[in-house]
Amino acid sequence: MKTIYFHLMPYPELPADFQQKHRSVWVDIDPSLFDPNVGNRAYNAYIDQIEYAAGLGFDGIGVNEHHSNGYGMMPSPNLIASILARSCPDIAILILGDSVALYNPPIRVAEEIAMLDCISGGRIIAGFPVGSPMDTAFAYGQNPATLREKYYEGVDLIRAAWAADEPFAFNGNFTKLRYVNCWPRPIQRPSPPIWIPGGGSVETWSWCAEKNLPYLYLSYFGYKAAEQSMSGYWEAMGEAGREPNPFAAGFVQFIGVGATEKEAYDLYREPAEYFFNRSLHVYAGFADPPGYKSVETVRAGVEGMVERAAREATQRKMAPVKQGSQSKLTFDEMVEKGYVVLGSPEQVVEKLKTIATDLNVGRLIALCQFGNMSSDLAKYNAELMATKVLPEIREMFESEWKDEWWISPSESRVRMAEGVPT
Amino acid sequence: MTGAGVISESLFRGQPFESHVVGDGPTVGYLHGTLGVASAVPFLTATASTGLTVVAPSLPGFGSSEPCSDLRTLFDWVCAASEVLDLVAVSGKPCVASSIGAMLALEVAAVRPDAFEELVLVAPFGLWDDAQPVADPFGVTLGVQRELLTVDVEKTATFFENDPSLDADGKISETVQQYQARSTAASLIWPIPEFGLSSRIHRVTCPVTLIWGAQDAIIPVDYLERFASLLPNVVGAHIIEDAGHLVEIDRPDEVAQIVSKAFNR
Repeated sequence: MKTIYFHLMPYPELPADFQQKHRSVWVDIDPSLFDPNVGNRAYNAYIDQIEYAAGLGFDGIGVNEHHSNGYGMMPSPNLIASILARSCPDIAILILGDSVALYNPPIRVAEEIAMLDCISGGRIIAGFPVGSPMDTAFAYGQNPATLREKYYEGVDLIRAAWAADEPFAFNGNFTKLRYVNCWPRPIQRPSPPIWIPGGGSVETWSWCAEKNLPYLYLSYFGYKAAEQSMSGYWEAMGEAGREPNPFAAGFVQFIGVGATEKEAYDLYREPAEYFFNRSLHVYAGFADPPGYKSVETVRAGVEGMVERAAREATQRKMAPVKQGSQSKLTFDEMVEKGYVVLGSPEQVVEKLKTIATDLNVGRLIALCQFGNMSSDLAKYNAELMATKVLPEIREMFESEWKDEWWISPSESRVRMAEGVPT
Repeated sequence: MTGAGVISESLFRGQPFESHVVGDGPTVGYLHGTLGVASAVPFLTATASTGLTVVAPSLPGFGSSEPCSDLRTLFDWVCAASEVLDLVAVSGKPCVASSIGAMLALEVAAVRPDAFEELVLVAPFGLWDDAQPVADPFGVTLGVQRELLTVDVEKTATFFENDPSLDADGKISETVQQYQARSTAASLIWPIPEFGLSSRIHRVTCPVTLIWGAQDAIIPVDYLERFASLLPNVVGAHIIEDAGHLVEIDRPDEVAQIVSKAFNR
């Protein structure tokens, strides 16, 4: 089992009445809510947290891309990855990822990942998401009806560019380049590992199966919500004649570890409530632009992660207020529904083992910092996770299955944190 | 489709597409708006009752016309619309066009000035004013989208609701068809419905009558003046009260009368 310490870099000071006074945390979030001085403190604190986690024993560290988003302050994950490539000298770096269709031309992604792979000595894992509707269709103005085709084309271009031994011409429907020549080239040949994050689109499962690329189900709604998607993915893998190798799959999970169950409940209540009731407040009109979903996904009735968040937020808001009820998701509900895995180290180990087995996933994208969690608490959580939980789950699947989608660092690489050798 | 005359199916680039034919008289075309032809049936029958035959093709992706994955850019769409007009023998005839269909009609006429004998255009997309931006009809919930399109939301029920007489599979198919139509409409005007029409609109030399809904919540009614100032041959302009963006759906009889007067001169 490979566990990635993953960070969203949320804006930590959204007002308490954000849900009541603002329409959305994404796309049209009020610019005046962003205090650059808070940004200064938050970015540095978050980079510290990732660097700290990198030294604890996680298998990898991870960053991602969002735009105009109050819970994800990384429009460019590659900028953060470039810092980590130098300050974290041994660990895998997962960029989950660059939204290929947003780059014009997408060869820019090939170049930047190649740079990072060189700087890090071959430790980059390239995640290629189609991208959320908010990021792609609204913040970046991409046509939802052609987004997926443009994405597929971009991924093909990047992979061809990394693998090529000589310049070539690329005549796509969306990108036309007379000269494709990715200079620098990545250390890992023919390419860094490519993982595909998804939010439940039916056609992504069969595409991953066809291309032999691991699929990671990105959901903030925990393992229970992942069951439908993961079973659909494994079905597609079976139809493609692929083995059910758990390393070909992963999922995202909020995790809060305490010395005891009670401590975990006490410590993580506030940051979880902050995330689910403030950070995840998305206007429903941004969640499902027409054309973003394929016909197959519409026909299957599969609901995307953010679409669900927006729908549930709207339903809570519209529900008549009864005595004793409230419009916000309660912490107990978050735990009960599996949005947050919480407890003592033993409880978390047991739960994660069950999840990994049930979903057959060999990659855990662990969100140990969420909402407005302080740096001290984030580091405490990461430390308990790394020292008490990971040793108990690390060996899962390792003896039965080969992980063919992991990094291949150069043995002669420069370990940057130690300084450049003379 | 009850009351909508004959639905013929022919092939567009090898894929079936439907065309509705209503009435008995001189032919006029109808290029539908964002919802397709089905919601405009009362307008088709009202127009036919004035002594005209209305030929209303469903563009690829609308109604039962198959979506066409080759249509990515406006140029692709202009070629496709021109081809469809030829296939249903509307080229060179008078034509009513609404919303996205009106934008396409203008673009077709700009490259092919003889494509229409005369046009009646209902609230076309295609121009943009920073001081009065066109609203985003697709960055909203379905309920809001419905309210943006017509004043009377009951008149778009066939598009936004499932036919209660359908079984479960039928409802899924209907939902998919509605989704495809929304997707196709959105793709035509994403992210901003302005593709340089103002630089070529002077080539639309046929007579044009403009119609706008006084309560158009998507394209402000002031855009009527903008189109009128750029088109070289405007012969009529009408602002209809109690009508939203899809005027022919809100006020089918009034639009049919304007069409009849324009085309029976």
